[in-house]
Amino acid sequence: MIPQQNESVVGIDIGSRSIELVVLDSGGPVRQVKVPTTFDPLGQCRKLMEWTGGMRVVATGYGRKLFAESFRLEKVSAITEIQAYALGTRYLHPEAKIVLDIGGQDTKVISLSDTGKVVKFEMNDRCAAGTGKFLEFMATALQVPLEEFGGFALGSDRRVQISSMCTVFAESEATSLMARGERPENIAMGLHAAIVQRTAAMLRRVGISTPLVFAGGVAHNLCVRQLLEEELRQPVIVPENPDMVGALGAALYGRNLDRSET
Amino acid sequence: MPSSHEEMWEKLNLDIDAHAGLLEVLGKFYGDIYMSQQGRLRGMEYLDFVLSEVHGLRIKELQDAKVSGRKVIGTFCVFVPEEIVLAAGGIQIGLCAGAEVGKGEAEKVLPRNTCALIKSFVGFKLARLCPFIESCDLIVGETTCDGKKKAYEIFSDYSPIYVMEIPQMKNFSDRELWRSEILRFKTQVEETTGNKITADNLKEAIHLLNNRRRVLQRLNRLRAAVPVPISGRDALLINQISFYDDPERFTAKIGELCDELEERVKNGTGIAPEGTTRLMLSGCPMAVPNWKLPYIIESSGAVVVGEESCIGTRNTRDLVDESAGTIEGMIDAILDRYMKIDCACFTPNTERQENIVGMARDVGVKGVIHYALSFCQPYTMEAYKVEKALAKAGIPMLAIETDYSMEDVEQLKTRVEAFVEMVR
Amino acid sequence: MKLEILKHFEDIGERFLLDISELDGTDTKVAGIYCLFAPTELVRAAGAIPVSLCGKREKPIADAEETLPPNLCPLIKSSYGYAVTNTCPFFAESDFLIGETTCDGKKKMYEFLGRIKPLHLMHLPYSTTEPHAISFWRDEILRLGRFLEESTGQKIDRDHLRFQIRIHNRIRKLLERIARFQAAEHAPLSGLTMMTVMESKSFFVYPEKYLDMLGEFIAEMESVAASGFSPFEPDAPRVLLTGCPLGKGSEKVLRIIEESGGAVVCMENCTGVKGLDLLVDEEEKDPFLALARRYLQIPCSCTTPNIGRINLLDRLISQYRIDAVVDLTWHCCHTYNIESRVVGDFVEGREVPFLHVETNYSTSDVEQLRTRIEAFLEMAGCRSNVRFANSRLN
Ligand code: SF4
Ligand code: SF4
Ligand code: SF4
Repeated sequence: MIPQQNESVVGIDIGSRSIELVVLDSGGPVRQVKVPTTFDPLGQCRKLMEWTGGMRVVATGYGRKLFAESFRLEKVSAITEIQAYALGTRYLHPEAKIVLDIGGQDTKVISLSDTGKVVKFEMNDRCAAGTGKFLEFMATALQVPLEEFGGFALGSDRRVQISSMCTVFAESEATSLMARGERPENIAMGLHAAIVQRTAAMLRRVGISTPLVFAGGVAHNLCVRQLLEEELRQPVIVPENPDMVGALGAALYGRNLDRSET
Repeated sequence: MPSSHEEMWEKLNLDIDAHAGLLEVLGKFYGDIYMSQQGRLRGMEYLDFVLSEVHGLRIKELQDAKVSGRKVIGTFCVFVPEEIVLAAGGIQIGLCAGAEVGKGEAEKVLPRNTCALIKSFVGFKLARLCPFIESCDLIVGETTCDGKKKAYEIFSDYSPIYVMEIPQMKNFSDRELWRSEILRFKTQVEETTGNKITADNLKEAIHLLNNRRRVLQRLNRLRAAVPVPISGRDALLINQISFYDDPERFTAKIGELCDELEERVKNGTGIAPEGTTRLMLSGCPMAVPNWKLPYIIESSGAVVVGEESCIGTRNTRDLVDESAGTIEGMIDAILDRYMKIDCACFTPNTERQENIVGMARDVGVKGVIHYALSFCQPYTMEAYKVEKALAKAGIPMLAIETDYSMEDVEQLKTRVEAFVEMVR
Repeated sequence: MKLEILKHFEDIGERFLLDISELDGTDTKVAGIYCLFAPTELVRAAGAIPVSLCGKREKPIADAEETLPPNLCPLIKSSYGYAVTNTCPFFAESDFLIGETTCDGKKKMYEFLGRIKPLHLMHLPYSTTEPHAISFWRDEILRLGRFLEESTGQKIDRDHLRFQIRIHNRIRKLLERIARFQAAEHAPLSGLTMMTVMESKSFFVYPEKYLDMLGEFIAEMESVAASGFSPFEPDAPRVLLTGCPLGKGSEKVLRIIEESGGAVVCMENCTGVKGLDLLVDEEEKDPFLALARRYLQIPCSCTTPNIGRINLLDRLISQYRIDAVVDLTWHCCHTYNIESRVVGDFVEGREVPFLHVETNYSTSDVEQLRTRIEAFLEMAGCRSNVRFANSRLN
């Protein structure tokens, strides 16, 4: 149990794959939880919310609206993931100029001003191409656990070309490569490279600058990280808990609200 | 809609069941997006009525007019000079469509990656859903974008179509080309209507249409007040209806609505809470019932105070000079006015960038949302340049590419909300 | 069979660059062009050398997409990509560019291209049969003439223009003769080789030398043809490839057809025979009018309605005894894509099997395409046998 503190605020990021929750007090994050979204996101939220009574809650992620409408608490508000990632990143890495967030369903690139304000952003369009979903789908196709997929790809000895970013076509490409006897590690590498290329294109459209912070669930993937650094020819900063950045940002937003009210 | 119209629809050879389905969706959509608004103007009742009878009484009017010998001419683009049609006693109707219903039919004859607007009107024709198309004595196409230009060839398999060549540039020779096309159109319209165009009837037509533009200009000025006195959705609807309604009646009714608006502005009454973010739309036209994006914007803490589009200021900004007395002089004036249209089909079309920046400053917005239909190359290509021009003026822009389907609504909401957070 | 002389065609790009480098220091100008509509006679009459800059490779596309939207034809993206990255030697050699308002994508892309090099844009009328079209296009040709004169500092002399018209007509006639070899029962060249030969038409510095090269090639081809040699299986279905232009680097579909046992004996596209049968009237007193008339007849899908393409296909199907037609559309090329239906209706109306393929420059769909094309050729193969049997019965 967390001691009830007045300054405590909760940020909750309801994504398509997982829900993250961060509790923040005046000193910083005091608790971070992550649960899978499942088919009952509200049920999952309810469980998480049991011990947060009375605190201000800020929701983000694709479920933010649903959340805000279902939990008609006194102090509930919602912000977009764009804003949340910008705030979270700024807190963790005040020097950051650009944030890349590859999540389960979408990829976002956010460019920040010197004061940490969002000046421009891009999101992938409606299909899952190039997102975490894509990796998950491909990991399943190659029968590798998602968590190990990046490491698996790094075991390749050559990079095969996968040119399709559409989940369905890429799978058929992968299948035909396998039929030709290509090592699955190499195919995995090709798939990772394809994602990175697509991401880099998006980054270029927004304008690449340093330092670049890479957050979101896919930031755990070592292979994506490494390829991204190669492609951009610059180091990429990955926060300690990259998938918590959104929830953290939401909580920070809540704290600002609290402050401005008092 | 009273079923008394059914007989008429049957006569027009509409697919009665599918059409009933369309009206139901339209009704529900309208209820959700329009009737749910708070504090609407009294004057909007007229628009509600026109829209509820858009396939009913308005079609009846057209049919009656046809019985009395008038001709109905349908168009897909604001380049077709309505003055000519009106002068010859014709009735001009915009046939652009904003619904997805005919998509399945359209995709049988058109590639899937054609813009939604084109698929929609071809689909309406193929699925026999649009009483306007079926009421036309002449349908006029134009060579604006690749998609439309080639789709008319397919459309012509089902219904004859007269195609005007629209210049792509604005040099001296383009003016001459456009003049010869207007004259060719004049001959065609005279033939279709059986009426000669004279200096008198042309003068009158010019005056009438200028008045319609003037009243819409007035609306545009008033809606930009602080606080905003009318929702962007309502203003868009008014612009949309201007393509269907009788110009004289429409002008009078919107005049009354503007009086009411003026009152509001004087009293400082607004429809959105103070601090609501003011945005502007720019890009492809939004035809009835394509209210998706304005609705998303206005339920994300923002309000739309202007549309830079063909169903918006691009169609109302410029007037035809009324000083000429001869037909030649008037044709010249029409020519001048239509050559000012800054559609992205033109190259280099730099004036559009200037117009957007100017308008954004005039109406005072925090940002611009650039709207392009997926696969529309002219507008998606210009988005990049518009963004640069706006950035230079310190105005942020969000580029949206979408179609008529509802599947990306959540995604769009996130983008729009994030944009509103960013510019606030 | 490998002809020595083919080497000249394969190396024509390098040859071009060499010849051009020898002209360094002179004031000869190079004009980059992107389309069959650019009147090359006029370019040469102004003393400039035209060269094609049409992008045919995937490589520069990623860079182009930083500016251009994704839903755009790969040819446009590739062309622009080469320009922004300055990785195309022909682009580097070009002193100025000539574009036309053919399709929306190119038209708007030129707005960006014009920031990199001086660009003259010709305005092409779309309704080519309307009365205004000819005089309008003639004016556009004159306007191009003025631009060329300014850029090269050389006056366009009417007699010299007439001379260039005659030379270009001769080139067209020779190319047409070369293409015609494939109409024989035993087509002597593969479609891929023929593509290489045909592509040479956009890469020569000296027209007279080029004419000689074509003449020599024809002489050699005559003996090959007489020997009855053909790289194809005797029962290979004879395929006509139509649609968007392709070339070295973007020959994917052509290659797959031939790898799948089809014989591409004719290409009705800008790299192939399109326009070869259209000559400029040498007798016409006004050479500009003659040019205008000839160029406006090019049956491109950008014009509406494009009856010329249907007529051309009709003729080619008979002339080349075509068993199957494949219509290639580059992804998001609206004009060819939509027109494909018109073409398909016509071809199928002639009882020739028809396949429409929409793809881009990437290799991602090669296997998928292979399956479709193989199945199509199997189908077309049977049908052609049936027809053959029928014709023997008749
Ligand atoms: S956007 Fe262009 S093509 Fe479309 S209606 Fe407007 S002027 Fe016509
Ligand atoms: S939205 Fe674009 S593609 Fe569609 S009809 Fe208009 S100009 Fe053409
Ligand atoms: S292939 Fe089509 S879209 Fe591409 S440049 Fe040619 S006409 Fe334009």
